[in-house]
Amino acid sequence: MMHRSRWKLFSLALGLLLLLAACESGSNRQQQPNPNSESSQQSDQPSGEPAGGGTLNVAYPANPATLDPHLTTNQATRDVARNIYEQLVTLNKNYEVVPQLAESYEISEDGKVYTFHLRKGVHFHNGKEMKAEDVVASMEKWLSTSTQGQANLQGAKFLQTDEYTVQLTLQKPSLVALYVLADTAPFPGIMPKEVIESAGPEGIKEYIGTGPYKLEEWKTDQYVHLKKFADYSAVDAEPSGLSGKKYAYLDDIYFRYVTDESTRVAGILSGEYDVAFGVPFDNADQIDATEGVSNYFSPGGIVAYVFNKKAGPFANQKLRQAFNTALNNEEALTAAYSDSRFFELDSSLALPSQKDWYSTAGSDKYNLHDIEAAKKLVAESGYAGEEVVILTTRDYPEQYNLAVVAQEVLKSIGVKSRLDVYDWPTVQERRKDENNFDLFAVSFATRATIHQYPFLDSKADYPGWTNSPEIDRLLDQIQASSSIEEAKPLIDELNRVTWDYLPIVKIGNIQNLVAIRDHVKGLDDLIGPILWNVSLSR
Amino acid sequence: MTKYIVQRVLSLVPVLIVVAVVVFLLIHLSPGDPASVILGDEASEESVAELRSRLGLDLPLYRQFFVWFGGVVTGDLGDSIFMDMSVTEAFFSRLQPTLSLAVLAQTIAVGIALLLGIAAARRRGTLTDQAVMGFSLLGISVPSFLLGLFLILLFAVKLKWLPVAGYAPISSGLWNHLRYLILPAMVLGFMQAALIARMTRSSLIEALGEPYIKTARAKGLKPGVVTYKHALRNAFIPILTVIGETFGTLITGASVVESVFNVPGIGQLIVSSIQRRDFAVIQGSILLITVTYVLLNLAIDLLYGLLDPRVKLNGGRGR
Repeated sequence: MMHRSRWKLFSLALGLLLLLAACESGSNRQQQPNPNSESSQQSDQPSGEPAGGGTLNVAYPANPATLDPHLTTNQATRDVARNIYEQLVTLNKNYEVVPQLAESYEISEDGKVYTFHLRKGVHFHNGKEMKAEDVVASMEKWLSTSTQGQANLQGAKFLQTDEYTVQLTLQKPSLVALYVLADTAPFPGIMPKEVIESAGPEGIKEYIGTGPYKLEEWKTDQYVHLKKFADYSAVDAEPSGLSGKKYAYLDDIYFRYVTDESTRVAGILSGEYDVAFGVPFDNADQIDATEGVSNYFSPGGIVAYVFNKKAGPFANQKLRQAFNTALNNEEALTAAYSDSRFFELDSSLALPSQKDWYSTAGSDKYNLHDIEAAKKLVAESGYAGEEVVILTTRDYPEQYNLAVVAQEVLKSIGVKSRLDVYDWPTVQERRKDENNFDLFAVSFATRATIHQYPFLDSKADYPGWTNSPEIDRLLDQIQASSSIEEAKPLIDELNRVTWDYLPIVKIGNIQNLVAIRDHVKGLDDLIGPILWNVSLSR
Repeated sequence: MTKYIVQRVLSLVPVLIVVAVVVFLLIHLSPGDPASVILGDEASEESVAELRSRLGLDLPLYRQFFVWFGGVVTGDLGDSIFMDMSVTEAFFSRLQPTLSLAVLAQTIAVGIALLLGIAAARRRGTLTDQAVMGFSLLGISVPSFLLGLFLILLFAVKLKWLPVAGYAPISSGLWNHLRYLILPAMVLGFMQAALIARMTRSSLIEALGEPYIKTARAKGLKPGVVTYKHALRNAFIPILTVIGETFGTLITGASVVESVFNVPGIGQLIVSSIQRRDFAVIQGSILLITVTYVLLNLAIDLLYGLLDPRVKLNGGRGR
C-alpha cells in the first residue's frame, strides 16, 4: 500500500513521461515510399548547375579497419576509399565495364593480352602524374592480396610497355577479367609507386589516389575528413554509376563514425548529420513522417543461407534440398527485414539490372515452402537424427533472425538443431573449421559477375567448401566464352545447377535504408554510396 | 607518511603482473584475431595467415607474452594495429575526453547529491525526504543508455538546445567543449548523484544524532551552522568514499554513455579495440586503468588523513 504522497509523485512522473511520448509520435502521414529495388533511385537532381561548396556530414555505422582498397571487402573501407582512388576500368549504371583511368583498351585475338592506354595528365593528390609504372605497381599489389584477383586471373601479369601503356597477360582467355578489374571491394585503386614501395609490414602508410576527394585527416574511431582535390581530372562523359564525370561540388566530406544506431537516427532528425547510413528499418516510418528528412533505398545485395558441404548432415545434397524445399522465403525475409519494402524475392544470383548476368533459370526450385515434400526428402537423405549447428551472431540482427527462422524450418521437417551465438570476429574464426557449424546466414554485397561470389568455385576455400565439378566446369566454360551472348545459355545452366546442388540457398535481394536531409541533392548508389555528384541546396 | 605512500605504490607491482597475465590470456585464448577483421569476410585463409604472421601473431603464446611484457617493463606498451600510433599515445589522446566528462559528471553529481542528501537528512520522514529517495531509486535503476537517448530526444532533437552527439576538444573553445559534454555528463551525473545522495543522507542523519549536535543546538547556534560546519564535516568520510569510488568508475570509462554520445574516450577505445581484437591496445589500456584506479584510491586515502585528524596513515585507522 503506497502512501498517498508517493502516489502523487509517481503519477506526476508518469504523466510527464506520457506527455513527452505524445509529443514524439508526430503527424500521421503514412507515406509508402516506392523503392525500385532494380536500380537505386537518384535523389532529386538540382535544376541547372548546382551551387558548389559546403560540407557534408555523413553518419556512418562502422569504423574502417584500413583505407587500403586492395585489402578488404569491408564496406566501411569501400565507401570512403572510392572517393580517394580510381581504377583502370569501372562499372556504369548497367553494371557494364567502361574505362576510367584507362582511355581505351584492346583485347588480343586469342583473348590473353589486354592493352590499356592510360589517360595523360591525370595527377595524384601529391602532384605526381599517373603513369604506367604506378598502374603496374598497384595492380601487382592488388593481385597479391585479392582473392578475386587470384581466383579469376590466375597467373596474370601486368607489364609496362611504355610510359602510358600497360599490358595484362593472362594464362587463359577470360570473359570475366574486365569485370574483376572493375570490382568494387576489394578494388584495384591506382596509387603512386613510391607509396607501395615504402609500405611497411602492416601495409601502406599513405592514402594517395587520383580521385576527386583527397584524405585530409583520419581520426580513428571518430571521423574521416575528405577534402576536394582541386587538380582532379574528370572523364569527359555523362555520370553513370561509378563512371563518367565526377563534379565534386562539395568542399568537405566528413564520415562521422557513430556506432549507436539510435544516435544516428537522432542526429539525422535534428539536422546534425546530412546523410545517415545504416538506419534501422523500424525507423523508416518515423523518417517518412518527419519534415526535412526522407528515406533513400539502395540495393544491399543478396542474403543467403550457407551450408557446410564438407562435413556434417548438410554434406548430403538431399538434406540441403529438403531445407530449401521447406523454406518460406517471404516469411524468412519478413522476420529479418520487417517489411516487403526492404526486400525482394528473386532466385537469380545477379540483380535484374545486371543485364549481362541475370537469369531466371532454376527459379522452379525457389521459395517452395512445401513441408510435405521436404519431409520426404529428409527421409530419402537417410537423416539419422544428428543435431544441426547453426552459427550466428547478435552483432548483425538480421543474420540472427534468419538463424532463428532456420531453426524453426528444420524443426518443422523433423531435423534437430541448435543455435551457436558468438560475436562477429569469433564467428569468422569458427567458420574456418568444418567441425564447428553446419549452417549460417549471411549477406553478400552485389558483385559485378557471379564468378566473384566466393561460394561457387571449389578453389575458393570459402567456409562451406563448395565442391561441385559441374559448377566448376560451367564457371570455366563461361570464362572461356568469347562474348556474353555466347555465354548466356551457360549462365542459365549455372543458375540451374546452383539450385540443384545448393551450395547456398539464396533467400532474396535486400535493400539498404539511408536517411537524407532534403537539401542533399544528387546522391547516387552502385554497390555503395556515390557522393561525388552530391550538392547542397540552401 | 612518505613511507606509507611508497608502500602503497609498490603494492601496485604484483597487482599489475596479475592483471597483465590474466588480460593477456583472456584475449589471446578467445577466438578471433585482427587479421580477419582487417581483411574482411571473404578473404582467403592464406592471406589471413600471411597477415597474422606479419603481425607476429603466429608465435607461441608464451613468446608473445614475454615480447609484450618485456616492452611494458621498459615503458613501451606496443603499437595499435588499427590506429597509426603507439598504445600510450592512443590511450592518452582518449584520456582527455573521459577526464573532462568525468569531472563534469562528478561536479553535477556532487552538486545535486549534496543538496538533495542534506535536504533529505534535515527533513527526515517528510515528503521532501521521500521525494529525494524516490528520485535516487530512479537514478540507480534506470539504464544509462535509456536515460541518454531520452535526454537526446528531448534536448537535442525536440528543443535543439544541445548537439546530439560528438565531441570538441578544449582547443576549440571552452563553451564548445562543454556543450557536447553536458548531456552525457547529465546521464552519468544523475546516476552517480543517486548513490551519493543516499550516502549523504544516511551519513548525515547518523552525525546529526550525535550528542555534540545537541550541545551545539543548546548553545543556540543557527541550524545552518550546526548542519554544515559541524555535522557535515564529520559525516564526510563515508561520503568521500562513495565519491572516490564513483569517480573511479567514471574515469575507467563509462563505455555505454560514450558509445551513445559518440565521445571518443577510454571506454569507447576499449570497446572498439575488443571488437577489432586490437590486442596491444586492450592489454595496455587495462594496465593503465589499473594504475589509475590504484593511484586514485591512494589519493582518497590521503585525503582522509587531511579531513580527519584521528586517521593515522600507517596502516591502521582510528575512529
